[in-house]
Amino acid sequence: MAVKKVKTKDKHIKNLARIVESPRSILYHEEDLISYDCDGFTLHRHLPKAVVFPKDTEQVAKLVKYCDDNELPFLARGAGTGLSGGAVPLNGEVIISLVRMKRLLQVDLENRYAVVEPGFINLKLTNSISDKGYYYAPDPSSQSCCTIGGNVAENAGGAHCLKYGVTTNHILGLEVVLPNGEIIEIGKDGVPDRPGYDLLGILTGSEGTLGIVTKITVRILKTPEAKQTVLAYFDEVTDGSQAVSDIISKGIVPAALEMMDKTAIEAVESASFPVGHPRDIEALLLIEVDGISAGIGEQIEQIMEVCNNRNVREVKVAQDEEERGRWWANRKTGFGAMGTISPDYLVQDGVIPRSKLPEVLNRINQISDKYGLRIANIFHAGDGNLHPLVLFDARNPGETESALKAGTECLQVCADVGGSITGEHGVGIEKKEEMRFVFSDDEIMAQTDVREVFNQKSLLNAGKLFPTPGRCVEVKIETKEAASV
Amino acid sequence: MIVADILTDLKSLIPEGQVKEEERQNHSLGNRGQVTVYPKSEAEIASILKYANENGKNISVMGGGTKRGYGGLVETADILLSLSDYKGIIEHTVGDMTLTVRPGTTFKEIQDYLAEHDQKVSLDPAWPEYATIGGIIAANESGPKRLGYGSARDVVIGMKVVYPNGTIIRTGAKVVKNVAGYDMNKLFIGSMGTLGVVSEVTVKLRPVPKHESLVLLSFPKGNMEEIRSFVIDLLDAPMEPTSLELLSPALSNRLINRAHYTLAISFEDVEKSVHYQENFINNSEHNAEVSILRQKETQAFWDEFYTIRPNGTELITNNETEAALKIGIVNLDVLKVIKEAHVLQDANNLVIQAHGGLGHGLCQVILKGASDDVVAAIKQLRYFVVQLGGYVTITHLPLSLRQQIDVWGEQPSYFFLLKQMKSKIDPNNVLNHKRFVGGI
Repeated sequence: MAVKKVKTKDKHIKNLARIVESPRSILYHEEDLISYDCDGFTLHRHLPKAVVFPKDTEQVAKLVKYCDDNELPFLARGAGTGLSGGAVPLNGEVIISLVRMKRLLQVDLENRYAVVEPGFINLKLTNSISDKGYYYAPDPSSQSCCTIGGNVAENAGGAHCLKYGVTTNHILGLEVVLPNGEIIEIGKDGVPDRPGYDLLGILTGSEGTLGIVTKITVRILKTPEAKQTVLAYFDEVTDGSQAVSDIISKGIVPAALEMMDKTAIEAVESASFPVGHPRDIEALLLIEVDGISAGIGEQIEQIMEVCNNRNVREVKVAQDEEERGRWWANRKTGFGAMGTISPDYLVQDGVIPRSKLPEVLNRINQISDKYGLRIANIFHAGDGNLHPLVLFDARNPGETESALKAGTECLQVCADVGGSITGEHGVGIEKKEEMRFVFSDDEIMAQTDVREVFNQKSLLNAGKLFPTPGRCVEVKIETKEAASV
Repeated sequence: MIVADILTDLKSLIPEGQVKEEERQNHSLGNRGQVTVYPKSEAEIASILKYANENGKNISVMGGGTKRGYGGLVETADILLSLSDYKGIIEHTVGDMTLTVRPGTTFKEIQDYLAEHDQKVSLDPAWPEYATIGGIIAANESGPKRLGYGSARDVVIGMKVVYPNGTIIRTGAKVVKNVAGYDMNKLFIGSMGTLGVVSEVTVKLRPVPKHESLVLLSFPKGNMEEIRSFVIDLLDAPMEPTSLELLSPALSNRLINRAHYTLAISFEDVEKSVHYQENFINNSEHNAEVSILRQKETQAFWDEFYTIRPNGTELITNNETEAALKIGIVNLDVLKVIKEAHVLQDANNLVIQAHGGLGHGLCQVILKGASDDVVAAIKQLRYFVVQLGGYVTITHLPLSLRQQIDVWGEQPSYFFLLKQMKSKIDPNNVLNHKRFVGGI
């Protein structure tokens, strides 16, 4: 009955509404669709055909089958916090939003796993089990709003993956709707290493181009008995980065090892969570060690000693959970904080071998000088994952274009030293062309071959992840126009 | 005739001394080649694959040969590609804690080299003196310390892979965090060499722990409920064991001369932390016989432990049939599986030694006895495990028996995807044909 309220002549929209069984589970008016024209990557926008909100796997499978039968492009979307444009409906896709599939289906503490629907929020999982002394390890900065389904698509990382690994290291099983609507289940009950190629490993981080995940079995961990956090201020960036190497070479595996440079510090101190970092230092390190209480003191002492040997100006240990929480809030809101010192910013996500840090920071400085744009650096120093933030003002003619170029050059530097163009944000639309910095044509083809095994018709999330010959220039011009709106 | 042709062809591709006609016919474990080649470069590997691909030949790939009895339905392929001469460390960046090696390097060679730098690859495979890094990765082999450090998929960050058509691709990179494109490393880890030949591996390293101990708890009553409740308490405490392995009475007897169910619990950390955790166990309630091995003593235990599995390089000298199984199950059901293995021992007049990780859900079962009894016990154990929602893979068995009982068990419902993957990458079935699940 309710379906009658869908007012459109488009038969596909009527049929999609029938599948989701309610007019409240579909959006198709232009004014409603505008909020879905991009995700956390805002430089490129496109309106979807419709947005549907299925309530269970069966509805997802029916929607997918319908799209497949009718040659309608489609894609899945979680909270839309992705930073590389993976959920942007480039081809006017039907967006299958998974936000209503947000149940925590099962928690098995004895066997250390939990089963969630894809729309379940990352941080909620830890909050649901923390009273019993357990947590879910991957902690992207957006964890209070991003979904675990989205984390699987992007193989999300976070500050604590230095010790505990990224999303892929914590996924034990997936229920997946394939692009033809068929439902498969991989890694049932979290049983490891089932015979066959590691499809879990291929699907995780495939940026929504191989299938739609509708159920996820994740590993949960015992909360470490103790953790201690150290903050160290350096007058020279090189001293800070040497300290990073020294800590690692002492055989310490910190839970997190984060670095911010002067410009980043200026931003976080001007934003909502200032903690009183001195403004005149060149770099700070935020170091966390966790584990058995009895063993932590010794490691903290070693870390303090390392910092002192590297001319640290000041080094201190968080005195309580409250102080530790403030330091982390200051760090985790770092990207957004850029808004306080610059009208626009562009975040990059390169990875380098840790030992190349001083060289790479130097070259990023040169790029900054070349374009006359400030570049702030916030990064997961322990695993070499850089986040250069190019600050610009889109109102100044040509500045957006310069910022994009500067960002791309930063990635080229990462590739030149044997690193990668993305450590946790994904390729999406943003870094499609930069894939060529790290992969040959053969290597890209090996990957598109894998896509074809799952997604022959390419109706699911087409135009992402891989460079399209000849489209490079086109995309850049389009992004520039979109950014200047 | 055909052999002579292959010999001639191969000798035109790579130096003559690296091509050998197999003298022995009929290896009881199969996975042989009419001709064996020992490439010494990636280019040679590529040229051999390309030759086979274009000339309708097939190739069996081998590292150290410890897993020769693992999968495979044919006695011989046209060519046996041995990677045993393609070995050595390519690059070790101490500060980055990454290591790039050639696939034929044995695990022990790698660990010995790294030990000089207080670093290690955090895997613990069987027969480290023989097993090569390429083989360990191809078979996705892990040991008890998987609980603390994960498996090959958590350790490998980059590879070079030679495709059947001779194309060489790189997967991943020499960095520890990377999401550029699909995570292609995963495709080859555990693929049993059916998709490509790994020609280079980059792994991330860990520091050698400053202190190490192994607590052995033997439960004389053999009461599984008692063991279960001890384990649940331990897992629920903030302890950080790197192994929590249950040994069957027969295995415990072999290793430490105590014919009881025994838990082998490792702690690896700074000394204070290790002692603290040992004390936690000493002070917890249990009726087990406890012994604690420290530092070098632990290594001696593990050295012995890693030789319990049948080794495919050894010639079988008596009529006894040896088999090994890998069983995956929900973590705590490991208790049930190890018990069932123990029960099946007497029921089938076999020696069955078993162990399983209560924190990671993988068991290994070794069976010895008359071949009919071995096959019967495998079937019974498989039935038991499948009922519990797990699987049984046969990791070692003579070829003639592999032809009788499916090494891989039931095909997964998504088998068509695996098959399509194989035909996309290796359409001519050049590599390790029929070695993997469903005859891939």
